[in-house]
Amino acid sequence: MTAPAIATKGRLARLALQLPRDKADTLLLLAATLMVLGPHAAHLPLWVSLVCACTLAWRGLITFRGTRMPPAWVLLPLAVGAMAGIFATYNTLLGREAGVAMAVLLVAFKMLEMHARRDLFVVIFLCFFLLLTNFFYSQSIWMGVMMVLAIVALLSAQLTFQYSGAVPPLARRLLLGAKILGLAAPLALLLFFLFPRIQGPLWGMPGDAGSSGRTGLSENMSPGNISDLAQSDEIAFRVRFQGRAPGQAQLYWRAIVLGDFDGRNWTHERRRARRPATSLDLNGTPLDYQVTLEPHGRRWLFALDMPGSVPALPEQAALTANVELRTSDAINKRIRYDVTSFLSYKLDAKGDLPEAERWLALPRGFNPAAMQAGLDLQRESDPAKRVERVLQQFRNDGYVYTLQPPKLGPNSVDDFLYRSKAGFCEHYASAFVFLMRAADVPARVVTGYQGGERNPVDGFVAVRQSDAHAWAEIWTRNTGWIRVDPTAAVAPARLERSMARALPPGDQFDMARLGSLINLQVDGDSLIGRLRFQLSAMNNGWNQWVLNDDPERRSGMLASLLAALGNWRNLAALAAIAALIYVARAHQARRQADPFDALYSALNVQLGRLGMARAPDEGPNAWARRLAGTTLAPEKKEALLRFLQLYSAHKYADHPPDAALLTTMKRLLGSFR
Amino acid sequence: MIAVIRGAVRRKADKWLFQLRDVEPGEVFLNQRRVFILPTGPGIGFGVLLLVLLIGATNYNLGLGFALVFALGSCAVVDMYLTYKNLGQLHLQPGRAHPLFAGEDAQFELTIINRTRLDRYALWADFIQAGQARHVTDVMAGSSTALLLSAPSERRGWLAAPRVRLATRFPLGLFGAWCYWQPDARALVYPFPEAVAPPLPMSGAPSEDGTGHAGHDDFAGIRSYQPGDSLRHMAWRQIARLDPSLGGQLVTKDFEGGAVEELMLDFDALPVTLDLELRLSRMTRWVLDAEQRALPYGFRMQGQEFAAAVGAAHQAACLRALALCNDGQRA
Repeated sequence: MTAPAIATKGRLARLALQLPRDKADTLLLLAATLMVLGPHAAHLPLWVSLVCACTLAWRGLITFRGTRMPPAWVLLPLAVGAMAGIFATYNTLLGREAGVAMAVLLVAFKMLEMHARRDLFVVIFLCFFLLLTNFFYSQSIWMGVMMVLAIVALLSAQLTFQYSGAVPPLARRLLLGAKILGLAAPLALLLFFLFPRIQGPLWGMPGDAGSSGRTGLSENMSPGNISDLAQSDEIAFRVRFQGRAPGQAQLYWRAIVLGDFDGRNWTHERRRARRPATSLDLNGTPLDYQVTLEPHGRRWLFALDMPGSVPALPEQAALTANVELRTSDAINKRIRYDVTSFLSYKLDAKGDLPEAERWLALPRGFNPAAMQAGLDLQRESDPAKRVERVLQQFRNDGYVYTLQPPKLGPNSVDDFLYRSKAGFCEHYASAFVFLMRAADVPARVVTGYQGGERNPVDGFVAVRQSDAHAWAEIWTRNTGWIRVDPTAAVAPARLERSMARALPPGDQFDMARLGSLINLQVDGDSLIGRLRFQLSAMNNGWNQWVLNDDPERRSGMLASLLAALGNWRNLAALAAIAALIYVARAHQARRQADPFDALYSALNVQLGRLGMARAPDEGPNAWARRLAGTTLAPEKKEALLRFLQLYSAHKYADHPPDAALLTTMKRLLGSFR
Repeated sequence: MIAVIRGAVRRKADKWLFQLRDVEPGEVFLNQRRVFILPTGPGIGFGVLLLVLLIGATNYNLGLGFALVFALGSCAVVDMYLTYKNLGQLHLQPGRAHPLFAGEDAQFELTIINRTRLDRYALWADFIQAGQARHVTDVMAGSSTALLLSAPSERRGWLAAPRVRLATRFPLGLFGAWCYWQPDARALVYPFPEAVAPPLPMSGAPSEDGTGHAGHDDFAGIRSYQPGDSLRHMAWRQIARLDPSLGGQLVTKDFEGGAVEELMLDFDALPVTLDLELRLSRMTRWVLDAEQRALPYGFRMQGQEFAAAVGAAHQAACLRALALCNDGQRA
């Protein structure tokens, strides 16, 4: 730091110290407000953030310069203008997004219109409300940390305004705010686990779908949209296997079956026609696991190929005819579900394929070369041979696996197969299914995720967006639908490791690769890799904790708590601890009191039993005079009077008592007993 | 009529609910039975906010939202406890109250003693009838603070300190804790001095030259100061010369020969037709006048008699007799 910088800093510090009290208080409130409003900037329109920043800066300037607040005729048009802006941006003043933006602006403007103590409470309460709305967008561990810090800051601001005389330094006030929250924490935790919660929304949330901006698999596949996903290192879902996790090459997380092709896009079936139920034979050992799914704004659940059970969810999951797990409501929050899958299965293996023409349909007039190649393939009688021929073509004809495939024309399959020969899993799946259909083999594209990374810290398998994958399924008589992954023919490493790392080194210095370099795509063995695992496990632990809202789990917690309390040993231990604390405190109190006073009050208790307790207005001498006239045994009376005389002398003495006095008095008290 | 009954019922209910006690002698300890607590306006607002947050968290199923609601709710509970702690365990002690004239405000000194290890902030104190509390103070751990609370006086005699209400909203202002205390303190209210009173009743025969007046006494030298000497008679010139470090003393001018006229303020000499309070009022004015002019004056009233003298103690004795005239509770 340069000398002028230090000087500036010193001046600032001095300035802050010299601020009069109300100014410092206002700055504290401003800081707390900023903590609450800051995270909102991530999702608010830019102009709202700018208006807020300007307003808060204006308030800060007013505070520093001690000028007057703007009058109502300045603020009112501004507020009306802001409202008009919100209406222009969202086309409504209601609804979640618009409401949050309104509340943010309200807090900012209210800061300029604070005159009474009531306004202060309004600002702080609004800030608490905005704190909650932050969680619409993120409930990450950092949000949790931010929430704790913001509560402490807001509480400190609130209590700062309650002081009437001396105000302790800021650190003490922040400490008091933290202390309040700290004392509240046990009760809050208890409530968090025991408070009965109503499941599900209380009212519909139209327009709150929130799918905008969420990354995840889409319901159709066109060249390029999975490779976009592959750039994202975001977690799609995490899985915990009950037993051993299957091998990496087995981890096909099935989601969407795409059967309709329009020449460029593969789309999920739009028709909702009732189709005959598929026959699905599951065999082998069932695989139980739990999935913690990040919100993706769509209606798919992910399960290993093939799911054998339907998870019980408030979103009402169901198995479709193509064995996809689909929910009735969009997944807009993090959810957790249990599924059982079977790695070995037979799908539609009996008899003819229902609606076979649907899985053979191809758009007319597109991709003539590929169509011809398919017709050529039909000369091969065995469908399995046809598959093998195509895979061999991919393997041997110089096809490249890349995240940056060249642009394709309207005949995308032809362009890919015979011109660019470079593509991503979606290109291979698309071309493969096209060729199969042209060769009269029923085929379809399946999208989902492939692979996952096991975190050695907590044992969860994390599946990231970069693991998004597309593969194919073909149908043959007697074997039914079987999975074929044409990408594996080109880039076998893709199945062993994550997609981004399966890329050839030639791509390494592209701009897009830079993103994944920054995303710390490093080996799990290095220090940074371990750190990343730790961080991920911490995040996951937090998510699992926040998700702890299903009633069974919480009632289980209650039961274990009751069991712990119901055990007489535990109860006895608790009682013993309480008794110990009580005794220790009593002992401490006695030690703090003057030992002479303690003896004096002990004497009072003893005499009280004889009905000769000290009257409230009596001093030791007056008491002694009264006691002298009572009928006590002479030697007792003598000891008593001596005791009181010594006590009185000690109390009014101007020198500290000698060491023997206490023992003398104790002896006198003992002889009286 | 109904209003009277309602008032009586309400007073009874208050007395029972808030454990309003009679005068409590000496120091009073605020245990938890004496401290009451209720949410304030902002506190109720905070409750509504919590409800809104809870509904929001339920509707959107926000785990962290629930955490926020429960944390804030628990903070309110903690605030309730801390507000109680800010008021409870204090000791209250009445102090002195100086005499005053009717119509003036009596100033009662009340001491708040904090023997705990906790600093107490923003304690509002005032007499109940004052409505909004006018005094606020902090009491640091192990210290005490004296407050001067004023209550209007209406009539002469003893004025008992009204009931005191001590309240606090610290730390968060969501809850208000308060307690009542009837301090054992009283102030002596002298009669109101008559605004326009007849001149001092100089008794005795006029002197021969007829000009005798208190101001013309013969100066007879100085003597050492005695408590009660009028400030007007201090020998300021001599005092200024003396060096206090050399054992200098206050000295007073001594007058001989005395007043030509003997000043005797005799209550019983006032016409009985006058209203009692008016007579007391006039006597008060005369005492003040005589004191102001440093005329030694005697005082006689209903069998009480003070020999002629001048000075603060004499004045206080005379005014006290006037204040407590026919009061029944002479003390």
